[in-house]
Amino acid sequence: MDLLFQFLSNTGYYLADYRNVIMIVVGAVFLYLGTAKKYEPLLLVPIGFGILVGNIPFFKGFGLGIYESNSVLHYLYFGVTTGLYPSIVFLGLGAMTDFSSLLARPSLMLLGAAAQMGIFFTLLGALGLGFLPKEAASIAIIGGADGPTSIFLTAKLAPHLIGPIAIAAYSYMALIPVIQPPIMRLLTSREERLIRMPELRQVSKKERIIFPAIAVILCCFLAPASIPLLGTFFFGNFLKECGVTERLAQTARTAIIDTATIFLGLTVGASTQGDVFLTPKSVGIFFLGAVAFSIATASGVIFGKIMNLFLKEKINPLLGAAGVSAVPGSAREVHLVGQSEDPENFLLMHAMACNSSGVIGSAICAGILWSFMIVL
Amino acid sequence: MYGFHAISTHNGWAMAIAGTLIVFSGLVVLSAVISQLHKILLFLETKYDRFRNNNKIQESDEPDEQPESALPTIFPSALDEIARLYQPLIEEIGETFYLSDLYKIAKENKFPHPHITFTAFRDAKILIPHGEGVFSWKSPIVDTVNENE
Repeated sequence: MDLLFQFLSNTGYYLADYRNVIMIVVGAVFLYLGTAKKYEPLLLVPIGFGILVGNIPFFKGFGLGIYESNSVLHYLYFGVTTGLYPSIVFLGLGAMTDFSSLLARPSLMLLGAAAQMGIFFTLLGALGLGFLPKEAASIAIIGGADGPTSIFLTAKLAPHLIGPIAIAAYSYMALIPVIQPPIMRLLTSREERLIRMPELRQVSKKERIIFPAIAVILCCFLAPASIPLLGTFFFGNFLKECGVTERLAQTARTAIIDTATIFLGLTVGASTQGDVFLTPKSVGIFFLGAVAFSIATASGVIFGKIMNLFLKEKINPLLGAAGVSAVPGSAREVHLVGQSEDPENFLLMHAMACNSSGVIGSAICAGILWSFMIVL
Repeated sequence: MYGFHAISTHNGWAMAIAGTLIVFSGLVVLSAVISQLHKILLFLETKYDRFRNNNKIQESDEPDEQPESALPTIFPSALDEIARLYQPLIEEIGETFYLSDLYKIAKENKFPHPHITFTAFRDAKILIPHGEGVFSWKSPIVDTVNENE
């Protein structure tokens, strides 16, 4: 009988805490959004299931939890805390990215730079709300709307905040169709939304091959701390474009990135144990994340309008919203908002140019912030 | 510590301004470089071709035999057909080129009235201008479908 009682007292039903229940509900919402609503399913499904796994109550000391050394989850989580998974994800992203539209219209890169304003505004906001500098920098990078970059920087600066920051970053990426369109419409007139972009010039293969080599040198010389992200990103792109390593590029953009995404999502989800995750700080992070993402979108759009003051050939300021690095979600949203005004207006390729420059910009920002914090 | 005091104490203003300037300058430099990339490539290719051609002339003792013209005796009037005849020239000079180079090579290959043909190509958007005399070639799409039929 004692054995039975002892067993029952070790079950999840007995050990359950209200915080675990709340997080299990959050995990179920993620799974619902990912599967039924198809909001970023490749991210929300692994994270949602990870939240379920991480919040099953267990007897401490068995080496089961993600924060207990020698547990299987702890070993898998190693890829997050060292920044390994984000680097691998960037390799795959590079092997998927086509920079043709950016090479055809390099001035659109400025919109990608402008959208990074959200990061630095949020840095100030987080410091003002009482977060420590390293925590504030980790929260600020949510404004880049780039999950792997957010996880990478947080792992380096404030590992105790990986769970809330990753969840906030991926949640806002999934909620792009909800967050961005109202901001875009609010900041642009109908005439501006109707502006059509000229057809892009054809880009030669040589340009596409040389670009990753030049970009990695220019960006990483400027912010060497971004090497783990941009080094693999541009390497992946070179594999894709050079034409002699198609097999490697194919593996990088399929098996490798998928494997990293599965383990990244699952372990980040599992790191949201109720007792660790549900704190006032997490609430602050979610609030600041929303602010960061909104400011990033607004900065891009406003900068697009400013560029129009000086350009003879006007650009559609909606493109600025794609300067955040949520690829390809924000580009798709820009295209849809443009088409809702004029079904003949095709902004997707131009928006992808801004999107890919946003990826580069947010990775540079991560490098810059990391460098600043080393100095502090 | 909260508010502006916290921002100032942790050097927040300086970090935000410096960070913004650094990321902007980085991307501006990158965009400036890639905006010139196709021109630099074109310049280098032209130089290389001239260097190679000069070497060929110096190496050969005997003058090259005049290559047989691939042109038909009766030149077609349909623009798509003419574009097809220009295709080998485009492959020779690359995807992006100076119009003057295409003109020169067309003359060398004895294509009739290149000037008028180029105007027609531009109107038909087969020749796509990129400013400063640089053009790219976009093949007309019709052919394969019609041929298969």
